[in-house]
Formats: sequence, structure tokens, C-alpha cells
Amino acid sequence: MQEKNRGLALFTFLVFLFLLGPLLIISVTSFEGGNILKFPPEEFSLRWYENIFNVEMFLISFKTSILVSLAGNLLALLLGVPAAYALSRFDFKGKTIINAFFVSPILVPGIVLGFAFLRYIVGTYQLPIYAALFVGHTVIMLPFIIRVISSSLSNFDFSIEEAAESLGASKVGTFFTVVLPNIKSGILAAVMIAFLESFNNVDISVYMTGPGVSTFPIQMLTYVENYFDPTISAISVLLMIITAFFMFIVERLMGLSYFTKR
Amino acid sequence: MKKRYLYLLLLPGVLFLTIFMIVPIFLTIGTTFFNESGFTIQGYLDFFKDRYFIEILLTTLRVSLFTTIICILLGFPAAYYISKLGKRTKAIMLLFTIFPLLTSPVVRSFSWMVIIGKNGVINKLLLSMGLIDKPLDILYTPTAIIIGLVHLFLPLIIVTLVGVMENIETDLLKAAESLGASRLAVFSKVIIPLSVPGLVIGSILVFVGSFTAYTTPALLGGKQRVISTFLYQNAITLNEWQVASIVATIMIAVTVLIISIMNGLAKKLNPKG
Amino acid sequence: MALFTLQDISVAYNKQNILKDFNLEIEKGKLVSLLGPSGCGKTTTLRLIAGFLQANEGKFLFKDKDYTKVPVNKRNFGFVFQNYALFPHLSIFDNIAFGLRLRKISKSEIEKRVMNVLEIVNLKGFEKRYPQELSGGQKQRVAIARALVIEPDILLFDEPLSNLDANLRVNMRVEIRRIQQELGITTVYVSHDQEECFSISDQVAIMNKGVIEQLSDPASIYKYPETKFVADFIGFKNFIDFDKRVDHEDKIELSKSGYVFVIQKDAQMINLSGKIGAIRPDDLLIRAKDISEVVSENSISGRVKVSTYLGRSFQYVVETPIGDFTVNKEMTESYRAGQEIVLEIPRNQMVLVD
Repeated sequence: MQEKNRGLALFTFLVFLFLLGPLLIISVTSFEGGNILKFPPEEFSLRWYENIFNVEMFLISFKTSILVSLAGNLLALLLGVPAAYALSRFDFKGKTIINAFFVSPILVPGIVLGFAFLRYIVGTYQLPIYAALFVGHTVIMLPFIIRVISSSLSNFDFSIEEAAESLGASKVGTFFTVVLPNIKSGILAAVMIAFLESFNNVDISVYMTGPGVSTFPIQMLTYVENYFDPTISAISVLLMIITAFFMFIVERLMGLSYFTKR
Repeated sequence: MKKRYLYLLLLPGVLFLTIFMIVPIFLTIGTTFFNESGFTIQGYLDFFKDRYFIEILLTTLRVSLFTTIICILLGFPAAYYISKLGKRTKAIMLLFTIFPLLTSPVVRSFSWMVIIGKNGVINKLLLSMGLIDKPLDILYTPTAIIIGLVHLFLPLIIVTLVGVMENIETDLLKAAESLGASRLAVFSKVIIPLSVPGLVIGSILVFVGSFTAYTTPALLGGKQRVISTFLYQNAITLNEWQVASIVATIMIAVTVLIISIMNGLAKKLNPKG
Repeated sequence: MALFTLQDISVAYNKQNILKDFNLEIEKGKLVSLLGPSGCGKTTTLRLIAGFLQANEGKFLFKDKDYTKVPVNKRNFGFVFQNYALFPHLSIFDNIAFGLRLRKISKSEIEKRVMNVLEIVNLKGFEKRYPQELSGGQKQRVAIARALVIEPDILLFDEPLSNLDANLRVNMRVEIRRIQQELGITTVYVSHDQEECFSISDQVAIMNKGVIEQLSDPASIYKYPETKFVADFIGFKNFIDFDKRVDHEDKIELSKSGYVFVIQKDAQMINLSGKIGAIRPDDLLIRAKDISEVVSENSISGRVKVSTYLGRSFQYVVETPIGDFTVNKEMTESYRAGQEIVLEIPRNQMVLVD
């Protein structure tokens, strides 16, 4: 019995070595002092971190990504919070369909969605690249916003609302003074999860590039195709630090159940 | 009164998604069935006669299937081990699982280029140990894509399975034991059947995810095309929007097909799950 | 002869003893209940017998063989869980057949035995259903059937009725007793519900802090508790700690602060040395005191401190020179708080405990 558990523990350890080992290895390669990416590095330096700031397109695309993710997030919140509230608060005919409708952007393959955006939002609707990026990213963030906020609202006791109304609050006033403060952490978690989802997105952004316009991950892809040096390792380390920070905050806000529930 | 309120809350989101997602998707699908002379499925007929495309489709399906099987084989025991851990250790292990999930797919695929490349970690190690005399060609092959995809999706299946396994009551395992079940019998007759829902959802996520993944095959596949890179190539490089639309429609169809097959399978395996 | 024996068992969690030098013998065919407040070690004892947990010290003997290290799945004991623990992915038939299939029994034999046990628990016709489609009481019957069908040497129940509503609880306990007696199966039953244990058991073990305080048939426990804990647990609310005990041939004379009480000696009385008198609130007599009255034998005067209306009766807390007493009295007459009264302890209603 003990033997078997030890075998299983070793197996699990190897699985995690497979999962985390590669991330560790590129982190180490980011400190390479030479010109070629290799493991283990021969000498220590931070020059590749400096190099990130020498590549102008990294700086520009980073700004683009941040802007698109933040603006998209804001619009997704404006659309998603009322919808999530309606879906949690009321029972009505066709509720499951509406629910499925709002999560459908996750079900459509990203690379297909991106193509449809390119063909119709950029093509037919004639939106400029920036606007198309903004709209596209809003679409992919919306399901995450609605899902996380709905799960946060599912723990909300709506009789508190009635209490507030009985004390003289209006419907809208009730929402802002009673509901919103209670799902604050859910909203923040939703924003962070959606942000990561948007910021890391390749499948949609890859179609939406133009002269001097692309998102950060697409810029990374382009760079990798042309140079095989540790700049990308250095960027990876910075991105992982940001990811870890976001994950830590989401965990604080709502635990890990969001990730294990499906 | 209540009705109007409800519509007001839902309408903006519904409108937005309809205009910017549903319409483009349906137009993409719709245009593939029409040419100058009206309704046609000629585009699809041509497609399925094309050896090159069939090759790509089969390779993609094969890669997705292998990825799914490997993910289950690696993920199931690991998830079982994690689900049995104490609260704190389990939380830490879950964080370690979720972290790669949230990390940029570009970063994760890139890390494998460093490991399995011609001058990569693995080749250097094997060469120095004298096990091989010239570097292995792993990068830019279907195997490389499978490795990258397993790395991409393994956390997803682990996290899904842990969620399901956590909800298996320990009393059920004890009941099975008290009825004479050995550890192996408890595992095969209780834990595995009760994990079927998680296994099905996990497999759908992995298979569909692998079938449609772009970043990993683009970075690790080299000249080896899969269906998503083929779609991108037609849309951007070749500007063949009609071809691209057909590929996109096939991808959607296969995705829907897989989800319904798996759900049917789940119903059969677990009638009252 | 004992079917199984727990010998000097100790179990500890986080350095805290749950059971310490615990001993218990159970005879073949008997239904023995373990009763006590939560944390008394009754569930631990049951899980130890089942094999779900291992003792740090001591031995478990079954039919004189050392079973201490025998794993759960080799013991052939049936266990009925508080939350039923039915397999949600299996039909009722398959749930019950689970243990038989592991024993490599032929298909036709399994069919026969499952149908037979379904009849015993009155669930014929339910074999194709799934656990989710059954009510709590039906689930419990399936759980019992599943444990019975393997023809266990011992049947173990862990608070099996606590998730059912009150009416069903009474029906089910009658059912459990009927099945147990019909099959003559040795059974250990854990509960915190006194009435439940008393009504179905051949013997009841009252447990406290990992020790059995008393093990005897229900009637004896009810009438002659041996320790103060047992007396308190089964409703003797009033205790008098006497200074002196003098045994005569047919009676015992007890005194506290000069007040003398006499109790009848009777053949079944077990406790030979106890000096604590215990009496139930229902058994004390109370009456208004006449101004001129001289208090007679076994009586003491006092004053009503609190009077509570209970519906069918009144409950009084009475202050006396030897302490406070709780008395229940039917509604025929009532006394106010502050009123002078006389309490009488009938000669045959007080028991002595350690």
C-alpha cells in the first residue's frame, strides 16, 4: 500500500518536471552572456533583458496589447456584468440558451474566429485594425467575464436586495450600493483572468496585423522566426512573473475552485 | 416591468456578440455553400479529393488523438495523487498546475524549441552520454507538435480530473473495501467509472484544443502543416479566402462532431452520471 | 463464547487518545449498540472493528484468530454508512451485486442472492433503478441489502438513521431489528440517539471519553445505571453526594448534612459501594408544605426557585438545604416561585452510582 503510493508520487513528480522543467530551463537561458541561446548558459549577464528595450517593435506592440486588453476588458465588463446579473438573478424561458450563447466564443476555434473577424470585421465592416483588435478581444473576453462573475453571484443572497429596496433604495441604487460591493472580488478576478486570456491571445491577433501594428505575442512569434537569441527567454521570464502575480491575486480573491470546476 | 428590465440587461451583450461574432461566423460558413450559380457543395467535393488536404486533416487528427491519449495516461494518475493530498499540499500542487495554463502559449512552445532543437538540451545530453552520434531530428516533426500540445493541455486535464475526483466521497471507497474490493478493484470499479464525466470533458477540451491549436504547431511544426496553420496560410499568405472559409467550416464541423460523439459515449458509459 | 474481542486497544490521533486500554467482547448473534455523546470514541471503535483504522496498541480477535492486521477487504464484515455511500454509477442491482462479483460467484447465484436480499429489505422491483432516484429510506435499505448479501460475519452500522426524518427513523429501526433477528447476524450499532439504541439492542454500551462506562441490557441500564455519567446521560437529573452509607439487610440508610434517606435493597441492584444517589425529575414527589407540618422520612422541605411550563407538566427547580433539585409534576396543581414545598424521594426510586 505504501509502496504503491510512493510509485504514484514519483510518477506525479515526473509529470510536474515535464510541466515546469521547460519553463525553468528558458528562465535560466535568459541570463546567457553569449550571443547564442544555449543551456546551460556559459556566462551570466542581463544583456538580453536590456535588448528587449532596444527592439522598438516590442515596446510598441506591448503598448498596443495593454491598450487593447484594457479597453476590451472595460467594454466586456459593461456588457457582461448586466448580463451575468440577469442570468443569476432571474429565471426565464430560454435562460440556458442565452447562457450557452454567452460562452459560445470559447467553443468556436480561435483560429476560425480570427479568420471570420478578418474577413468580416476588417473586410466587410471596414473597421480599422486597431478597432478590429479591440472588438475581437472584447468578444473573447466576454465569456470569461460572464462565467467568473456568474459564479461569484451564485453565492450572493438576493434577499439582501429586497432588504435594501424595503429600506427605500431604488433598483439601480440597490445594484450599486448592495450587489456590486459584494461581488467586487469576483469582478476583479474576472478582469484579471480575462486580461491574461486577451494579453496572451495569438489565434485572433495573428490575423490583425498591419504596418507597425501587432500585439505583443505576435511580435514575439515574428522575432522567434527571425532570431534565435535569448531575448525571448528574457521576455518569457518577465511574462511569467506577471502571470504568477496575477494567479496569486486571483487565488486570493476566489480560491482555486474556478479552475477545477467545469 | 420585470421583463423589460431583463431585456435591458441582456440586450447589449446579445447584440454585440450577434453583430461581431455570430454574423461573421455564419457568413463564413454560408459563403462556402454558394457560388455565382447558387447553392453548391462543389468546394467541399474538390477538397476531399485533394490528397494534400486529406493528408493535413489526417495528420492533425492523429496528432490530436495521440495528444489526448498521452494527456489521459499522464494526467489521470497525477490527478488521482493530487486529489488524495492534504488541503495545503493540494493547493500548492494545483497552483503549479494552473501556472503553466495561464502562461503565454508562445512562451511554452518556445521553451520546447530550446529543449528539442538540433542543439537543444536533449540532443546535447544524449550526445555527451554517447547514446547517439548525430543529433535527433525532433523539432519540426509531428512528434514535436505532440510534445508541445501535451505540455499545453496536460494541466487542463489534471485540473479537470482533480475537480471531479475531489467530489468522490471517501465513504464510497470505504464501502467498496468493506465489500471485499482490493485497492486495484476500488480504483477500477469505483474511481475510474466515477471519473468518467471529468475524463470526457477533459478529453474533449484536449482533443478539440489540439485539433484547433495554432501557436504550438506554428512554432514546433516547421514545414509540417496542420489544419490551423493551413487555414492561416490560405487566409493570409495565399489570400484564398474561399478555401480558408471551407477549412474553417470543416474545423467547426469536426469540433461539433467530436463534442457530440464524446457526449454520446459518456451517456453510454455512465447512464446516470 | 465471544465471537470477537477487542483487547487493550489504544487509538490516538495527534497525540490525543481516542481510545485507551479499551476492551469489548461481543457474543454471536447479538445486537450491541455503542451509545454516547460525540467524541466518546464510539465511531472510532466501529471503524476499528471494520478495519478502516488501525489501533496503535492492542489486539482484535475474531473467532479467536488475530485479526488486528487483516485488511478491510479480507474481513468480510458488512458496513452500513451514515450517508449510505451507494455507488452513483451503478444500478440498485449492481450496487448490491458489487461484493458478490468480487467474490467470483456465478451469475445465476448472484441473481438469486440479490433478488433474495431485495425481498428481505422490501425493495423488490427496484433493481433497475439508480440511487439518485430513491428516497432516503430506500437508499438505506439498499445500503443494508448491499452489506447483507455478502453474508458478513458481523454487520456494522454507523448512525444509519441520522439522515432520515423522525417517522421514517422509527420504521427503519424496527426493520433493522427484524432483519437482524431473522438472520441472527452479529451486529454492532453506533448512534447518539438513546431511544433508538434502547429499542433495538440486546445490549447497550454507554461510552464516555474512550471508555465503556456500562455494558448491559437496555432495561438494566435504564433502571440501574452504575456510574454518575450513565445516570446523567439517561436522564437522572438529580444527584445527592451522600456523606455516609449504612447497609442493612433489606435497606440502605444514607445521610447528608444530617438529613437521612432510606432506599429499598433489591436483588437486581448491582452497585454495592456507590455513595451518590441519583433520581429522575419525574420520580420525585412534590407537595405544598403546611405551616405546622413536621417533615417525615425521606422528605426534605424547600422552596420553588423557578417554575417552567412544559405543556403537559410543570418543571420546578427547588432549593433545599442539600442542594437544588429538578422536579417534573403533572398539571393538576401548580406552585409559584418562592412557595414553600416538601420534596419526597420514594424508597424505591433512587439508585446509587459511583
